[in-house]
Amino acid sequence: MGLAQFVCTGCSCLCDDIKIDIEENRIVRIENACIKGTSFLYAGDNFERRAPFLVSGCNVPLEEAIEKAAHLLREAGRPLIFGLDNCTLEAQAMGIALAQALGAVSDDVSSFSHGALVQGILDGDIPTCSFPELKNADLLIYWGCNPYHSHPRHLSKFSYYSHEKWVEAGWVPEVAISCVEVRDTETTSLCNRVFKVEPGGDGDFIGKILAAVGGREDSKESKAFVELTRNSAFGVIFVGLGLIYALDNDLSLFTEMLSELNRWTRFAVIPMIGHFNTLGFNRSLYEKTGYINKVSFAAGISHGDEFSFLEQTRNRVPDCVLIAGSDPFSSQPRSLMRNLEGVPIICLDPFVTSTTMAAEVVFGTAISGLETDGKAVRMDGTVVSLLRGRTPEIPSDEEILSQLLDRIS
Amino acid sequence: MNNPGGPLGQEMPIVIVTYRDVFQWVAKQKGISSSDYQDRSTIVRMSSSDMKVLGIVDDAPVRLRTSLGEVVVRAKSDPGCKQGFGFMPASPYSNKLASYDPVKGRLPNFKRIEVVVAPTDEKVDSSQTG
Repeated sequence: MGLAQFVCTGCSCLCDDIKIDIEENRIVRIENACIKGTSFLYAGDNFERRAPFLVSGCNVPLEEAIEKAAHLLREAGRPLIFGLDNCTLEAQAMGIALAQALGAVSDDVSSFSHGALVQGILDGDIPTCSFPELKNADLLIYWGCNPYHSHPRHLSKFSYYSHEKWVEAGWVPEVAISCVEVRDTETTSLCNRVFKVEPGGDGDFIGKILAAVGGREDSKESKAFVELTRNSAFGVIFVGLGLIYALDNDLSLFTEMLSELNRWTRFAVIPMIGHFNTLGFNRSLYEKTGYINKVSFAAGISHGDEFSFLEQTRNRVPDCVLIAGSDPFSSQPRSLMRNLEGVPIICLDPFVTSTTMAAEVVFGTAISGLETDGKAVRMDGTVVSLLRGRTPEIPSDEEILSQLLDRIS
Repeated sequence: MNNPGGPLGQEMPIVIVTYRDVFQWVAKQKGISSSDYQDRSTIVRMSSSDMKVLGIVDDAPVRLRTSLGEVVVRAKSDPGCKQGFGFMPASPYSNKLASYDPVKGRLPNFKRIEVVVAPTDEKVDSSQTG
C-alpha cells in the first residue's frame, strides 16, 4: 500500500497530514508525525504491547469477556464509567448511552484537567478560536505548558512557525510569542518575553495584572504583561495544566483577566488538551446533559463534584468501574488508586497499561484512527474525521461498548 | 526504616513540580518496564545549591519522602531550578508521592508535592512503585 494520508491520534492536535506506508498490515514508513505520534503508531505493531481479551488475567475469547463484563455491570449497584478520552465520538456516544442505561456515574479526565476551562468555553464565558484563525494573531502566549513536550507539532503546524507573515528578512514569524512558566524550558528559550512565576504563583501574577490594568500595581512584570497585550490586536493564550493546577481549578480570576484584556484587544483561549478526544466527550455529554463531566444517571441527570472519578474513588463509592481510553492507574496518585483494590474493573485499551493490569476484564481494542474510522474534536473545537489506515481483526471501542449496551438493555 | 538523613544526616524539605517529558513518553510506548522509561522517570532536577547542602553530586541517589510513600531517584543539577524546589517527570514514581486534595481544587497535587529529600546509599529500583 502506498503512503496513505490519515489523522494521528497521539494527542489533541489531531494532525491530519500524516502519511503512513503499510505492508502486510505493518507500518513500514511514517511521514510528518512528531516523535510522539511516531512512537505511538509504531507501538501498535508491537505484539507484546497490544492488550488481549482477559478475564481474571487469563486469555479468553471475546464472547466470554463480553459476558463477564456485562454480568459485572448488571450486578453493580453503583457503576462508574470513566474516561472515553482516547475514543472516537461514536464510541463516546455508546459509552454515555451505556452509563445512562446502567444509571451509572459518567466522568472523564477533564474533571481533573481542563474541565473548568472547557465548561467556560462551551458556556460562552471564555472566548476561543480555531487553528486557522491563528494566522491573524499577533501575540501567542503559552501559559503553564511546554508544547515542545506535550504537543510537539503545535508550534510548527498550527501556531508560531506556521504563521503566514514573517519579518522582512525571513528570520522569524511576525508574531510575538510569550509564555508564563515556573521553570526554564525549550518554550521559554524561544519566547520574546518570558514571565517567570513561582510554582503556584499564577494567581498572584494574575492579581497583579488586574491591579496594573487599574493603575494600582507597578511591578515590572505585571506592567510588562499589560503593555504586551495593549500592543496586540489579537492574542491567543494556550492554557496548560500548569495554570489549571496553580489556580486550584478555580478560573474566576483568569476569566476576569480575560474580560479586562478583551476590552482593548481580542483575546482567545485554546486548552492544551492531552488525550485526543477529551473535548469530544465533553461536548457529547454537554449536549446530552448540559454538563461536560461529573454526571450521574442514577436518578435522572445529576451533576456535582461528588461524581468526579477522583471523588468517587476517594469515597470508595463505585462497586464496578468501566475505564475506556484512559490510564488512571498510571497517571493518578497511588494513594488514591489503592481505593479501587477489590473493585472489579473493566478496561478497554489498545495497549497493555497499568490500568489493564489492574482490571478484572480487559478488552484489547483497535487503535482509534489507525485502525478505526470515526470522528474526534481537536483542541480548538474543530471536528476531524478519522480514516483508518488498516483493518485489523480487533474490535473497536464502539463495537465493544455497543455489545455491552445490548447485553444490559 | 532506612536512616532518613542519609549517610551524612542531611535532609531538607523541597517542593516537587511534575512536568511532561516527551522522550519519557516515547520510552513508555515500549513498555513501562523498559530501562529507558525507568531511567527517564527516576530523576529529580534540583538546584545546585540545594545539592551542595546535601553533599551530593549529579546522579547521586536521593530518597524522596512524603507521608504517603517514599521513592529513590537520581538527583540532577538544574541551573534553572530555584532553591527549595525540584522538578520530576510525571510518572508512577511521582504518583507514589502525590496526594489528592479533596477540599480546594479536588485535584492531585502534582504541581506542589511537599517532600523531604535526603541522600541515600540505596539503588533506584523499578519495583518501588508498587
